[in-house]
Amino acid sequence: MAARGRGRWFLLPGLLFLFAVDLIPLAYAAWASFYDWWLIRPRDIRFVGLANYLQLPGDPEFTRAVVVTALFTAGAVLVEFVAGLGLALLFAQRLPFLRPIRVLLLLPLFVVPVVGATMWRVIFHPEVGVLNYYLSLLGLGRPPWLSDPTLALVSIALVDAWRSIPFMFLVMYAGLEVLPAELFEAAAVDGASAWQRFRHVTAPLLAYVMLLAVLIRGMDAFREFDIIFVLTGGGPGTATQTIQILNYRAFGLGHMGQANAIGLVTLALVAVVCWVLIRAILRPRAVPAA
Amino acid sequence: MRPTRLGAALTAIALVPILAWTLFPIYWITAASFKTELALYARPPQWIFSPILDNYARVLTTIPFVQYLRNSLLVAAGTTLGSLVLGTLAGYGFARYSFRLSGAVRFLVLVMRMAPRIVLVIPYYLMMQRLGLLDTRTGLLVAYVSFALPFSIWLLIGFFADVPIDVEEAAMIDGCSPLAVLWRIAIPIAAPGLVVAAIFAFLVSWNEFLFALILSGVEAKTLPVVIAGLNTDAGPLYGEMSAAAVMVMLPNIVMTLALQRYLVRGLALGAVKG
Repeated sequence: MAARGRGRWFLLPGLLFLFAVDLIPLAYAAWASFYDWWLIRPRDIRFVGLANYLQLPGDPEFTRAVVVTALFTAGAVLVEFVAGLGLALLFAQRLPFLRPIRVLLLLPLFVVPVVGATMWRVIFHPEVGVLNYYLSLLGLGRPPWLSDPTLALVSIALVDAWRSIPFMFLVMYAGLEVLPAELFEAAAVDGASAWQRFRHVTAPLLAYVMLLAVLIRGMDAFREFDIIFVLTGGGPGTATQTIQILNYRAFGLGHMGQANAIGLVTLALVAVVCWVLIRAILRPRAVPAA
Repeated sequence: MRPTRLGAALTAIALVPILAWTLFPIYWITAASFKTELALYARPPQWIFSPILDNYARVLTTIPFVQYLRNSLLVAAGTTLGSLVLGTLAGYGFARYSFRLSGAVRFLVLVMRMAPRIVLVIPYYLMMQRLGLLDTRTGLLVAYVSFALPFSIWLLIGFFADVPIDVEEAAMIDGCSPLAVLWRIAIPIAAPGLVVAAIFAFLVSWNEFLFALILSGVEAKTLPVVIAGLNTDAGPLYGEMSAAAVMVMLPNIVMTLALQRYLVRGLALGAVKG
């Protein structure tokens, strides 16, 4: 359209608002991360340069949080990807009874995260929880779902999976829906087995959508806070203390310089993943000509 | 591909554990909210029981639930309105006018959606403290509009790009201003997109926990913070907690079921387009 200068009047309000609300705090955080600053000592704020950053690699709590975050993110996203893909393939079948059920599968995605975590806390309760009642009937004992260090990490990943499998399902289902049906029919006529059809037709065509789904979910799992906070609060000890929870605790202690330094390191990590994501979106789709 | 009869049967069987996994937690907390304390702790767990409303009555009377509900609703309504107005303008701007760096700015908007919120909440807290906006609904509202806006913009770019440009140009020639073209022509055609953007903005605000936890103390507290507060291992609160949780989740469930057609399209678009 001709009047290109007018575009800015449409864009300015939203963009100015967004950058003011996001970038000003970020600049403030960057500034604060160079200071030794405790909330309880507002008059004693000292410039310490990169000290808040430099002490992070040697801080066992921080390195531990990095490991916990990596394990949680990788585990949760892997489970969600496999389950979401399986469900998408299941629901892509032309069966009339699947349609009305589809929306039921999506419900966890829309439940308030804090409420979802609360449900599972009730279910997981070692003594009065429904899960352990039936497990003990089966002779499997009463696992301490949220108070054993290893099991707690598995539990929070499971709850994250409960909430986010629907997301993976939906994205990949939408990706499958737009694939041309003739391709599959042609492959079937040629005598390809179900696995061969998946391996050589579906998977390559869906690769782009799969990558997007994994990257988006990976970034969201990386910054997960609500579910972990409600289920374990980072405990027992520091067993489920992800970088986000550690950051929250540093903030709770009033250690503003360190809290902001952790925050900015996290942001840098996310920015790298985001850059990969953007490259993936910008890259022309590598769809083999059918 | 039409599956075989055996395939259909196997699919139906597979659905049983899938649906149980998905729906059981929702069912169980809903059931718990209608149970007496005795029934809550009964061994074996009670699947059939006579429902009572005591838990709901207690939540509504013993804590200022209604005040917190009001907070949640007002902030969510404001977030929806704010992000719709700003998102419509910006989405239309991106869809119709290209400029240098237009692509880069769009991606910067996307990066904003990906930023870990904990990074933002600390400086945001300090800023709100200076402005005297700690523990106010305004403080939350401004933050939530910024959370909802990137998704609204990206979603609406797609919907506005689909509006036939000939119609808009004809209206321009007839003397409509750009704003009138947006209001009279583009918005009515892109209405389904606006519905999706509105629902998501509402949910962003309704569900948000971290900012509410840190920024709101007593006055501006929203419902997720209330739920987390009730969430203790001290047994006697289970009934109340379940009742509160069900009330907080109800709008989400109703919206999902009633507007599923729009949501699926919106989520798929939002997810695939970023």
